[in-house]
Amino acid sequence: MSDSKQTVIVVDDNTTVRKLFERSTETLAIDLITFNSAKASMGYLSKNKPDLLFLDIIMPDKDGLTFLQELRKLPLHRDTPVIMITSKDYAQDRTVANELGALEFITKPMPMRAITDIILKYINKDNPY
Amino acid sequence: MAKSYLRFWGVRGSYASPFPTHLKVGGNTSCVEISVDDHTVICDAGTGIIPLGNKLAAENKNKDLLIVLTHYHWDHICGLPFFVPAFIPDWKINFFGPGESIQEIKQNLDSQMQAPYFPVGTETWMAKVNYIEPRETKISHGPIDITYYGVHHPGITYGYKIKAGNKTIIYVSDNECQFLDKSIKQKMTEFSEEEQQMFEAMNREEYEYELQSIQGADVLIHDAQYTPKDYETKRGWGHSCYVDVVNYAIDAKVKELYLYHHDPYNDDDAIDNIYEKSQEIIQERNASLKCFIAREGMEIDLD
Repeated sequence: MSDSKQTVIVVDDNTTVRKLFERSTETLAIDLITFNSAKASMGYLSKNKPDLLFLDIIMPDKDGLTFLQELRKLPLHRDTPVIMITSKDYAQDRTVANELGALEFITKPMPMRAITDIILKYINKDNPY
Repeated sequence: MAKSYLRFWGVRGSYASPFPTHLKVGGNTSCVEISVDDHTVICDAGTGIIPLGNKLAAENKNKDLLIVLTHYHWDHICGLPFFVPAFIPDWKINFFGPGESIQEIKQNLDSQMQAPYFPVGTETWMAKVNYIEPRETKISHGPIDITYYGVHHPGITYGYKIKAGNKTIIYVSDNECQFLDKSIKQKMTEFSEEEQQMFEAMNREEYEYELQSIQGADVLIHDAQYTPKDYETKRGWGHSCYVDVVNYAIDAKVKELYLYHHDPYNDDDAIDNIYEKSQEIIQERNASLKCFIAREGMEIDLD
């Protein structure tokens, strides 16, 4: 992993969603790291602050909103940029995500272009794409 | 040894509907009692918990209760202010539900009993009240073991898998099943061929996860609030159409399905129609699933 590249993390239990992010970001100069659960990501996130963090809401071990609540209590992640990804597009979830400082809320199925656009919106604008 | 059973005390969704046209099915909101060897677990605390509390208080023997809440929408907690055992010393009420901390769960329950919404707060509960740490992944109450998983409904909402007696019970009061499938179908033409293939794979994986959650259950109690016509205008409200639920239960090889969380708009005749249509689906698919309408007072033998 290069220090100069910005890091984007995706936490989602769905294998295809993780593949979709990998495929969508092939041409971006970023380090993309994916995890299949909140628990699996905690080893990394307890020590590292990514430039952008995507969190799924429904996951088997812990839901993304509760996980985000926990992360926000850590000084390291008080202001980590977070985007929620989910198939459940409910107003109440958006409100909770907003209260926890999530930047946006994207719903599955999201086309590859939407993924690259949202990443470029929040990371270094000079990224060669 | 005491009889082991599951009993429906409230089967309605959204709000209580004690209308003459609804009483064959029942008007109380979500509440199910599971009793094994004199240990009682209560799923949800809608208005159905009020008559259940009165019964438990009158029996005055099984004084250590576990209440598991799927979420905190009113129809699932609004019976608690009138739950008599909470107001009796030497009883113990254990609560479990979604939340990041015990304080959050407590706050969720306290807030509906605060002024100006209710004249007395939870501090007037004389029973010993215990909030179970939400990080626990498995909860036991005597011989009853419980795990949980996230479902599709606004806010964090749990489905519960309960091993009680000789049966595995899955209690999913509120869930919009096959939600992603419909989202993908709606937008499919907007995607490239590669994206279409990926979304089909994503959907298969998602459905596999949904199926695993209920696979082989002896008893599935599931949200079936909407008819196909209702669902045309209420997609995204967090509840299922019964047609999807029946197919879902067949796919997961569930033994008995209890259609639950009935819409208050649907009277007894409308729900009879849902029952008949559900039987037709089962016949058409040549499936062995037994499907019932959950009704107030209905009991399932767990021995």
